[in-house]
Amino acid sequence: MFFHIVLERNMQLHPRYFGRNLRDNLVSKLMKDVEGTCSGRHGFVVAVTGIENIGKGLIRDGTGFVTFPVKYQCVVFRPFKGEILEAVVTMVNKMGFFAEAGPVQIFVSNHLIPDDMEFQSGDMPNYTTSDGSVKIQKDSEVRLKIIGTRVDATEIFCIGTIKDDFLGVINDPTTV
Amino acid sequence: MSDKGGKAGSLLSSKGSLKGKDDSAAKAKARKVQFSTEGLESIMSNGAKSGGKVDKVANGGKSSAAKDPHQNEHRVDQELPENFKCLMDCEAAVMLQGIQDHMVMLSRDPAIKIPASFDKGLHYAKSSSKHSNPESVRNILEPLKNHGLTESEICVIANVYPETADVVFALLPSLKGKRGINSQPIEDSMNELAKLKQPM
Repeated sequence: MFFHIVLERNMQLHPRYFGRNLRDNLVSKLMKDVEGTCSGRHGFVVAVTGIENIGKGLIRDGTGFVTFPVKYQCVVFRPFKGEILEAVVTMVNKMGFFAEAGPVQIFVSNHLIPDDMEFQSGDMPNYTTSDGSVKIQKDSEVRLKIIGTRVDATEIFCIGTIKDDFLGVINDPTTV
Repeated sequence: MSDKGGKAGSLLSSKGSLKGKDDSAAKAKARKVQFSTEGLESIMSNGAKSGGKVDKVANGGKSSAAKDPHQNEHRVDQELPENFKCLMDCEAAVMLQGIQDHMVMLSRDPAIKIPASFDKGLHYAKSSSKHSNPESVRNILEPLKNHGLTESEICVIANVYPETADVVFALLPSLKGKRGINSQPIEDSMNELAKLKQPM
């Protein structure tokens, strides 16, 4: 899910950036440092939407760098356990399938795929029901529920399920 | 689980509160990478709550899970700080599109790179957004707050766009049971939403 939040960060700026463009330089550095990063608490920082406040700079002892406390608003994407979302399948194998929802990767194990769906190998590996009516393959859109998350240094990885009611394929790319 | 709570207490006593500060290096040290269905609540409680409360939260999570498995399943807002504002996908799409329009000008500067997560986030928000007018969706679903739904549950309903109240209760089991949420207001809201359905 997307969230709009206020975060605070201490930005260090080299004296070469001081002058009348100090604020612009600070904001550019903030965006470079923060956009695209990921943390367990906030999720992926998708974009900085605005600057709330830039505090007074403090000169660090022994160097010429100055530290500015910056409060900024940003859009983050953070998946939660129990969340229902729609994802696009990126890879299918006999262990399950991988799907992507925004910047987040989700894995659905074959144990969490309905029992009436079986893995079919081939050029386009897929999971298909016995009557062939429902197929999960690359580029299929599926509705799934997040049942667990794992946070790395740079990304969030989730485990999902489609075994509950009203979960599963929304859109089969072959029928579009 | 109890030794997890103990570890959390000692980590927090040395680190102090991590409220609001975006200090990813400290967080990487403080947080273990783990993968469990119950892990998220205890991990979030490490960062969000003070040391004294951690044990209570960890134990409380366990006992309430034993009493009512649906209670903790989607209480997203339990671990969210107050300034976290949930966004529907349609609202996020509008916001990110506005930012991309600005970025078109910035991207002429070769030093500025647009991160991959922005493109993926924007593409996802646009493709999963089922409503062309976020404000009207917000107006329809906002009254559900008076009937006991949380902000995060309302956003999930808007994102998933279920057809009936039965689908809502199936997908959000936290609405069932002790909270005794009436299905009629949800049914009415789903009917209103159906009228707004984006033309293909």
